[in-house]
Amino acid sequence: MSSAAITAGGAQPAKRSRSHADPQPAPPKLVVANPPKELEREPLVLNGRSHAWITDAIAGICERPMPKWWWPAFILSFGGMGMMFTLVAYLISTGVGVWGLNQPADWAWDITNFVFWIGIGHAGTLISAVLFLLRQKWRTSINRAAEAMTLFAVACAGIFPVVHTGRVWFALLPGYLIPFPNANYIWPQFRSPLLWDVFAVSTYGTVSLLFWYVGLIPDLATLRDRAKNSIRGALYGLFSLGWSGSNRGWSNYEKAYLILAGLSTPLVLSVHSIVSFDFAVSQVPGWHTTIFPPYFVAGAIFSGFGMVLTLMIPLRSLFHLEDIITTRHVELMCKVILATGSMVGYAYGMEFFIAWYGGSPYELYAFKNRAFGPYWWAYWSMITCNVISPHLFWFKWCRTTMWFVWCVSIVVNIGMWFERFVIIVTSLHRDYLPSSWGYFTPTWVDVFTFVGSFGLFMTLFLLFIRFLPAIAISEVKAVTPQADPHHPLGGAKDHHH
Amino acid sequence: MKTIPPMCPEPETGRKYWRSLEQLNDQPEFREWMEREFPEGASVAPEGESRREWMKLMSASFLLAGMGGLASGCRRPEEGFLPFGKQPEGYLHGGWKYFATAAPLRGSATPVLAKWTDGRPTKLEPNPLVPGSAGTDSQVQAAILNLYDPDRAIRHTFQGNDADAPKVADMLSGLSQKFSGNAGEGLWILAERSSSPTRARLQTALSEKFGRSRWANYEPVDFHVHRAAASTAFGAEVQPRYRLDQSKRILSLGADLFGAEADSGGMMRGFAKGRKPGGEMNRLYVVESLMTTTGGQADHRLRVKPSDVVRVAAQVAAQLVTGGTLGAALRKLSEGSPAPAAWAAECAKDLAAHRGEALVVAGYAQPPAVHWIAAALNEALGAFGKTVELRQAETPADTASLADLVTALNAGQVDTLVILGGNPVYNAPADLKFADAAKKAKTVVRLGYYEDETFEVATWNLASAHFLEAWGDARSATGTVLPVQPLIQPLFGGLSELEVLARVLGHPVTTPYELVRETFKDLASGEENAWNQFLHDGFLADSAGQPAHLSFDATRVLEALEKATPAAAGDGYEVVLFRDAKVDDGRNTNNGWLLELPEPVTKVTWENVVLVSPKTAKDLGIDASARAKDGQYRQFVVKVTVGGVSIEGPAWVQPGLADGVVGCALGYGRTKVGRVGRSAGFNAYPLTSSQSPHLARGAKLERVMRRHLVAVTQEHGLMEGRPVVREATIAEYEKKPDFAKHMDLDAHLDYVPRNPDGSIKNIYTSPYKAQPWTKSDINQWAMTVDLSSCAGCSACVIACQAENNIPIVGKDQVARGREMHWMRIDRYYSYDPDLPTKDETPAADPQMVIQPMLCQHCENAPCESVCPVNATVHDSEGLNVMAYNRCIGTRYCSNNCPYKVRRFNFFDFNKRQISYGQETGTLFFNVQSPLYHGPFGPNKYKETDWEVVKLVKNPDVTVRMRGVMEKCTFCVQRIEQAKIAVKNQARDSGNVRVPGDMVKTACQEACPAEAIVFGNILDPEAQVNRTIQDPRNYTVLGFLDNKPRVTYLARIRNPNPAMPNTYTEPDSIRDYERIRHENPFKSHGHGDPGHDHEPAGAAATKGGHA
Repeated sequence: MSSAAITAGGAQPAKRSRSHADPQPAPPKLVVANPPKELEREPLVLNGRSHAWITDAIAGICERPMPKWWWPAFILSFGGMGMMFTLVAYLISTGVGVWGLNQPADWAWDITNFVFWIGIGHAGTLISAVLFLLRQKWRTSINRAAEAMTLFAVACAGIFPVVHTGRVWFALLPGYLIPFPNANYIWPQFRSPLLWDVFAVSTYGTVSLLFWYVGLIPDLATLRDRAKNSIRGALYGLFSLGWSGSNRGWSNYEKAYLILAGLSTPLVLSVHSIVSFDFAVSQVPGWHTTIFPPYFVAGAIFSGFGMVLTLMIPLRSLFHLEDIITTRHVELMCKVILATGSMVGYAYGMEFFIAWYGGSPYELYAFKNRAFGPYWWAYWSMITCNVISPHLFWFKWCRTTMWFVWCVSIVVNIGMWFERFVIIVTSLHRDYLPSSWGYFTPTWVDVFTFVGSFGLFMTLFLLFIRFLPAIAISEVKAVTPQADPHHPLGGAKDHHH
Repeated sequence: MKTIPPMCPEPETGRKYWRSLEQLNDQPEFREWMEREFPEGASVAPEGESRREWMKLMSASFLLAGMGGLASGCRRPEEGFLPFGKQPEGYLHGGWKYFATAAPLRGSATPVLAKWTDGRPTKLEPNPLVPGSAGTDSQVQAAILNLYDPDRAIRHTFQGNDADAPKVADMLSGLSQKFSGNAGEGLWILAERSSSPTRARLQTALSEKFGRSRWANYEPVDFHVHRAAASTAFGAEVQPRYRLDQSKRILSLGADLFGAEADSGGMMRGFAKGRKPGGEMNRLYVVESLMTTTGGQADHRLRVKPSDVVRVAAQVAAQLVTGGTLGAALRKLSEGSPAPAAWAAECAKDLAAHRGEALVVAGYAQPPAVHWIAAALNEALGAFGKTVELRQAETPADTASLADLVTALNAGQVDTLVILGGNPVYNAPADLKFADAAKKAKTVVRLGYYEDETFEVATWNLASAHFLEAWGDARSATGTVLPVQPLIQPLFGGLSELEVLARVLGHPVTTPYELVRETFKDLASGEENAWNQFLHDGFLADSAGQPAHLSFDATRVLEALEKATPAAAGDGYEVVLFRDAKVDDGRNTNNGWLLELPEPVTKVTWENVVLVSPKTAKDLGIDASARAKDGQYRQFVVKVTVGGVSIEGPAWVQPGLADGVVGCALGYGRTKVGRVGRSAGFNAYPLTSSQSPHLARGAKLERVMRRHLVAVTQEHGLMEGRPVVREATIAEYEKKPDFAKHMDLDAHLDYVPRNPDGSIKNIYTSPYKAQPWTKSDINQWAMTVDLSSCAGCSACVIACQAENNIPIVGKDQVARGREMHWMRIDRYYSYDPDLPTKDETPAADPQMVIQPMLCQHCENAPCESVCPVNATVHDSEGLNVMAYNRCIGTRYCSNNCPYKVRRFNFFDFNKRQISYGQETGTLFFNVQSPLYHGPFGPNKYKETDWEVVKLVKNPDVTVRMRGVMEKCTFCVQRIEQAKIAVKNQARDSGNVRVPGDMVKTACQEACPAEAIVFGNILDPEAQVNRTIQDPRNYTVLGFLDNKPRVTYLARIRNPNPAMPNTYTEPDSIRDYERIRHENPFKSHGHGDPGHDHEPAGAAATKGGHA
């Protein structure tokens, strides 16, 4: 425990730990030198910004008129969303054949997009729940937006598996996918991974929503209190659930938040594991692989962090939040990308090894075909984006140069889209019997529906930054030095515990 | 709204009736009163209410009416129908009956049983009672769709305008009267070949009555050559029939025995009978230019230019007929033969060693010389009377040809030309210029099924009746007389050939029924019983022509041969113009089932292609590996020019095609055709000539810088070393009969964890094991397919389509890989792996194998465990069933099906526009396709034409909507019908087991080769139990432990070890060895597992018995 004494301004903790470990009378007071400057961690909020500044900077985004770029961005996104829903209407009214799906490739862009969006949704929960439990305080400045991104990504993801079904009207009717007692005593088929998806994704969506909302309550109250017109006041007041900032309120809030973090954490692992079962449980060579659950989770976090960076880097500069979302934040996220990207790369290699080592010629063919078959271009795009590009983050310049990080984050997401495409389409298009081998080509409806789903995503995100605090105000304040009673710059200096 | 009864038009004569005196007096007030819509009070302005009040009332009532309209719009449409005033005897609504009839085609007919439901025929099935009956071919199966073709001729026309039936009758009797005066001077009749005894009788009567009239038969693909050659050889009109069932050694000289040839079904069945290992297996030598299914079945195949077939034939014959002038003539003819001398010598030796059991057949497309040589060979081999049956020809000999007719037309000697069927304007040899000639006739009376190209030249165009609409008679391939019974009144008032002929003749009886009965009186007796027996059985026993006992007249053959000198090897390519396996000579070009049927070898749908060999393709600069994506091939278009006439079509690189040969199927590129066949393929008839209808020589071939989309159902033709189709030579088979069970990963499963009973430990316990109570101990269904027998004719595909209401999807959708056939015929090539693979040489002369693939009805079905909604489940009798109502269309089942036999309704294919064949946009943009575009789209499915098309649907089978997965059901409707029948019969005995062979699936029933066996494995007597226990039985992908109920019998080849191109192992086994490093016949340690466990196929069987 002696090392604990070497914390910054360590008099107080040192005393307390001694009292636990050693009941002897206190020896002469130790004077511990402050750690050298270079070992000091960079503060999470730069420039010693005050709490008031933080509140104004974040809440102000929702209160001031939106900057000029917001409207074109919103109109473009809204148009994209409209295009997507129009194409979905076309799809449902006419038939799934408006997409390019065919006989060997019964899934293609639909499930690719689903897994892609679900994967993106992973970063939010990981940042908010796992990093919370691991006491990674840097999460506070990005978790709100990341969680919102999660929700919107899950919304985008949810659309694809629903509309890709041949008869959407039955897919949504209770008694088919949704277990519901019916006169025929027919239940869903609980052995099917698609049904597990229904439960996994809906649970994930629900818990993420709750988690996000609970985290929002103190900030909504802040906005309520700052509201200058009655409508805002009423609405923020309604959703802040009468938050008063009381001690009891904070106590209950912290507990609820911790519980939800505990609930969400296994979901981070489970959702993408279950999504991967869609493939792993099947017989298709290239799908039937036990490595899929961890590999998919790593890939999901990889892509999720990519998307967080894609959104956060413009956000911090457009709203001048560089003091809150600091270079250090970006760097840390780059490191997560590097780690998960390496895991993904390892998985790609291991898949090939097992395909050879497993001794099934069908499996081996599937992997050879990925790399050298008709879809070689997709495979090598994937490898370039996912295996090569994250390794640039070994270099500090790459991690700290914003435009560069932003570009790599886009590349990562392109790569992860290709990963799902490669897994789904290259495995399906050539499976067991060579007579039924085929080739999938998307149609314009495939392409524009996917493009439109970004419209939906961005519409929701732009509305989010318009109306809700994009950064968790109360949490960021809590990690400032002045909030820490033990910090040399901290506020509370009286040592009554 | 109250409807005012319209005023009855007053009768011109007779009594007059009136409503009132005002009407009687025809007062103007009365007229005005009648003409008003609401006679009472409606147009009188209301009194008391203001205008404003009135507007209010009216708007309220309009609103109500609108709501009523909304409500009524949601109600199901009302359909009027007339109940029976009196129930017809034996009629059960929704029940079905079978009537024996026959499907005539080109001088022969297939005996069929037509299924008749609720007043209409819906399916044609073979009539097994008839001697020589051998399933049906795909064209017979698809004939039912022609009946309900909305594009068929639905009216009689005179100079293009509608003409009613009495007018037509007047015209025909007018002809009769006109020509009575001049003994038929100037009357010509052009007919298709027919085997009808009644037509023969009328033809004879016609020639007697109108002595100076002339009769020409014309078929663009004419099987008459067989008869003509035999008649030459024997000096009398005889009809040969080839008995492959009696033959142990068969040599085909350019004869596509199992495809384009006459009686291909009978030959397939006969061949398959002798193809079973055990006993002496037959052996097939094929000399051909194209790659046909016959070539695929061959043990030794020699690809030669068509002009060289005669040389090869002579070369083989010269080995057997050595002496005399004939021998010398043969030797002379054989000069320059491309066949290795040893090939011909060993082939001849093998044939001679089976004297009396050997058969040589020349193809319909071969010049007469080949037929005469074949006859000489058959004579030398003692084939006549044994493997070649000769019987006295039943139909009159030809008196005039089409060429004679054209000469007469051009000379202005034809007053009236009566064309009975056929489409000569489209398919007459190009050099005759028939269309121009026909215009020189004063009157052209034409009986046609379509308003097609010939319609343009016809003065009178009479709508023809379908054979299911009119009485007739015909002879089967064996010569047996068959009734052609109608099952429905002519839908559009069509006339039959017999009726038209009788009217032209001025015959006292004109109804086809009476005409046929008259003939029958001559053939059998006038007794009612005999007639009823004839109709009931569908044939007249012992009615075939008498066997002809004639002596072979070698001198006549020699004379004929000396006249025939094979053309010297000329420059340029040789173009083979052949009968298409689907649309025939063009008669089926509006039949969507046939157009969408993949061509048995190329797997091309919806059109014909220009077949070229890999070498020719290289010479042309067309890359041998076509740009194949998604079943779409963007093929280079090539121009084939012969003597200044050129045609253009997409090139198709066909492995196995002879070099220097171009193959073009006839029957496509119709200019005036219905909506389905529009823009299907290119027309190859311009290259035909009356002298050489199936071969054009000296062709120039050039690449046109244009690509054409070809829709193909099978993109990949190699097995990639995967033992999907397993085969062996007979020698190998005898050493190790169960070799097929020792291939693929099944042979490596020793280390796999097993249950105590030896079965593989699966993650999921087999449902029947996990829940034994779900398994029926009454019936369990299984199927086997014998790959030795199956030639790939694809009759089963169409039979399945007809039985199970499978929609066609159109070329655009086939190109996207969305064809709906429940059954597909996989065709694989295997190349000699020792040949250099970079070259085209391996592809030049491949071996071909065929495998019908359908839902395998796995016991551990991978599709079932992934369906989230329980839409595909297992039933207690071993069927993997689809609950269409339950299916939401996630398509996961199809992804997880290792056999890829599930089919998804990507659109409402049953609600689409009728124009299918049109090419639509690009792969990326598909908005223009004539599909069902949803409620907002311009769909035209409500057009009345669909009402006609709908009639073809089998009422026992659901018509699936879009978004639903479907697949083979083992014809579950037939199984259920059998179960009901057995239950009805069982009564209290409790014996409700369906006898093993009682249920026949549609594919099995149609199969000419009897390759498909289906039955109840719980009945020990069932044939399927024998085939499952056959040592050749194996399971495709058995290592997946899906335990399919469909298993295959490995194919056995019978090469002649003495032949120069003999092989000890089929190429596919060698390729398997090359890629997998194992061989079931060579002990590699791991390739030959112990026999301590059962292979999956046998385990499935055993499971069935447990």
